[in-house]
Amino acid sequence: MNEEKIRQELEDKFSYLKDAVNIKRKGRIFAHVPLGEFNTVFAYAVEKMGFLALSAITGLDRGDGVFEVIYHLNKEGRVLLNLSVMLNKGNPEVNTVTSYCPSADIYERELMDLLGIKVNGLAPGHRYPLTDDWPQGEYPLRKDWKGIIPNKK
Amino acid sequence: MGIISKIINWSRLKSPWVLHFNTGACNACDIEIIAALTPRYDLERFGVVLKATPRHADILLCSGPVTKQIESRLLRIYEQMPEPKFVVAIGTCACSGGVFNGCYNVCGGINSVLPVSAYIPGCPASPKAIIDGVVKLLQSLEEKPGDKK
Amino acid sequence: MHESGDVKIPIGPQHPALKEPESFLISLRGEKITASSVRLGYNHRGIEKACEERTYTQGLYLIERICGICSHSHSTCFVQAVEEIAGLEVPARAKYIRTLIAELERMHSHLLWLGVAGHEIGFDTLLMYTWRDREVVMDLLAALTGNRVNYGINTIGGVRRDISSKQKEEILRAMDILEDRTKYYIDLAKGEATLIKRLQGVGILSHEDAKKLDAVGPTARASGIERDVRKDDPYAAYAELDFKVVSVNNCDVYGRTLVRLGELMESFNLARQVVRKIPEGPILAKPPRKIPAGEVVSRYEAPRGEDLHYVRSNGTEKPDRVKVRAPTLANIQSVSKMLEDRYLADMPIVIAAIDPCFSCTDRLVALRDAESEKKNTVAWETVRLKGIEWHKNRGTDFTSLNKKLTRLFQHA
Repeated sequence: MNEEKIRQELEDKFSYLKDAVNIKRKGRIFAHVPLGEFNTVFAYAVEKMGFLALSAITGLDRGDGVFEVIYHLNKEGRVLLNLSVMLNKGNPEVNTVTSYCPSADIYERELMDLLGIKVNGLAPGHRYPLTDDWPQGEYPLRKDWKGIIPNKK
Repeated sequence: MGIISKIINWSRLKSPWVLHFNTGACNACDIEIIAALTPRYDLERFGVVLKATPRHADILLCSGPVTKQIESRLLRIYEQMPEPKFVVAIGTCACSGGVFNGCYNVCGGINSVLPVSAYIPGCPASPKAIIDGVVKLLQSLEEKPGDKK
Repeated sequence: MHESGDVKIPIGPQHPALKEPESFLISLRGEKITASSVRLGYNHRGIEKACEERTYTQGLYLIERICGICSHSHSTCFVQAVEEIAGLEVPARAKYIRTLIAELERMHSHLLWLGVAGHEIGFDTLLMYTWRDREVVMDLLAALTGNRVNYGINTIGGVRRDISSKQKEEILRAMDILEDRTKYYIDLAKGEATLIKRLQGVGILSHEDAKKLDAVGPTARASGIERDVRKDDPYAAYAELDFKVVSVNNCDVYGRTLVRLGELMESFNLARQVVRKIPEGPILAKPPRKIPAGEVVSRYEAPRGEDLHYVRSNGTEKPDRVKVRAPTLANIQSVSKMLEDRYLADMPIVIAAIDPCFSCTDRLVALRDAESEKKNTVAWETVRLKGIEWHKNRGTDFTSLNKKLTRLFQHA
C-alpha cells in the first residue's frame, strides 16, 4: 500500500500527470486530471490499480469561474485517491462514471441539483436532493447563489 | 349532548392518542420520544398511546424544522386528523427552526405551517421535558373543556 | 425487473416508531418484490451551504446536528479535518476522551438498532429491554458531557470537558452491567429458533455485490468485507488500543445482527482500555483564529459505517466547502439488491438492517401506483404488521420467547 508506488504508476502511465500527483499524508493522494483524459484515468484506477470503491464525489464552486469536481476513490479502505477535474462555470459538463462504479449515481445527481453540472450518460431517475418543484436555474451550492426563502403558508 | 361531550373530552384527556411525525429532523428528538415510551420514562402510564394513522390521533407530535419536501405532507396529515386536534412542537428545531433557521430548504418551526398548541424546547427535548409538556397540555385542556385549541 | 401487471406498493411518509421519512417504491408480483427503488431528499436541510456562512466553531455545532444518533461521529470527523488543515496537534488525553465518547455512542446506537430490529419483526419485548439497557449508556453520556444527545464535547483543538476518577469508576461498573446483558442477547441471537428463522436468509447481499455497491460498516462486515476505518485509517486513540474487527460471512440480516452484537462486546473492551490507559495532560490545544488554506478528507467509523468529510479552507474564518458523505448514503444503494426476490413481509427488517440514519442522508417518501399513476399511501406500520402476520402464519411466533425473556430479566 505504498503511496509512492501509486504515484509512480500514475505518472509512468499518464505523462500529463507528472507533477500533478500530490501525497498529502499517509493514505491521502490528490491528483489533478485534465478534463479530456479524466475517464481514461478513472477507468485505469478502478480496473487496474484496485481502487474499487468510490466513497464520494465532491463538487465545489471555486468562486473564480471554475468548478472543481473531486472523485474520492478508495483502495481496500486504506488509501484514498482523490481525482479532481476543473470545469468551466459557463458550461460545466462531465461524463458519468456509473459504468465503472454503480454507486456514483446518487453523488452525480447531487452535482446536478446543487451545482448545475451536467452529467452525460446518467440513466433517468429521480433528482436528489431537491424537490421536483424547485425552481429551474437555482443552484444552492454556487457561490453567487443569493438564497430563496421557501414559501410560507 | 352535554354529558356525552364531557365523557368524550374526559377520555381524550385521560388517554390521548398521539401520532408522531418527523418533519426533517436530525432524529434526536424522535429517539427521545420513543425513549419516553420505554420502561425508564414510560409515557404509556399516562394513557398515551402511539398510533400509526392520523385518523385515530388526538395529538400530533412534531419534531424537526419543516423542510420544503415535507411541508405538503405535513399539511395532509394534519387535515386527516379529526377535530379537536392539537399540535405539539418538540425540540428547538420544531419551535423555531433551531440551528437550521435560515437554511434554504427549511421553512422554520412547525408554526410556520400549522397552529401549535404546545412548544417543548430542548436540543433534543429530553424525555422528562416531553412528559412535562404533554401533561401540561392535557392540564390546560382540562381547565378549559370548551376550547378546541 | 418491473413488468406491467405488477402492483407498485408505496410506503407511507409517516412512521410510528423512530423512522424518518423515506421513499421506497416497490413493485410486487403477488407477494414477491420484483423491483424497488429508493428516493431520498426529505431531510435535506442545506447544511453544507450553511457551513460556508458560519465560522468553523459555529459550523461544528451545526454539523453535530446532522444526525441525532451519530452526532459525535460527524462532529469528530469534521473537527479532525479542520485540525489536520491547521496542523494542530491534539493532546493525547483529548484523543482518548473522544474515543471514549465514540465508543459510548456506538454502544447506544447498536442497542437502539437491536430494539428497532426487534420491533420490526414483532418482538417488542426486545425493544423494551434493549432500550432500557441503553438508558445506562445515556446516563453515562449525560454525566460525562452534560447532554444525552448532541454532546458538544468537541472543539477545535481538543475537547471541552475532562473526566474525573469517580466517572472512570462509573464507566467500568456500567460496562460490567452492559456486558452481562449483551451476553443474554447474544445467546438469544445464537440459540432461539424463531429469531433465527426471521432473520436468516433475509436481505442477502453477496460479498461481490457488497464490494461493487460500496457497502460500508456492519452491512459490509456481515458480507465478509473486513473493513473498519478504526483499523485501516486510525484516528483519535485507536492506533494505541487493542480490538478486533468483527466480520462474518452470513451476508444476511442475521449476519448484520451478529456483527453488531460482536461490536458491542468490542466496544465494552475499548471503553475499559480507554479508562485504564488514558494519559494525564491537557485537553485542549489552542487553535488559530484563521485556518490556513488547504483541503483534507477525514474519515471516521460511525456506528453505521464509514463517514467521510471533505473540508476545504481558504485562509479565512469560514470554510470554503464542507462536504459530508454519511454512511447510510453509501448503504442505501444496496437496498434494492437486497430486496430482490424477497417477500414484501421482509421489507421492514431488510431496510432496518442497514440501520438507516436518513437524517445523515436526508430522506424522502413518495408513493405511486404503477397502473393508474395515482398517488397512494400505505403506512410503514401497515406493511410491518402485515409482515408480522405473514410470518406468524408460517410458524414464527414470539409469544413464548417474550415470556422467556421476561422471566430471564426479572431479577436483572
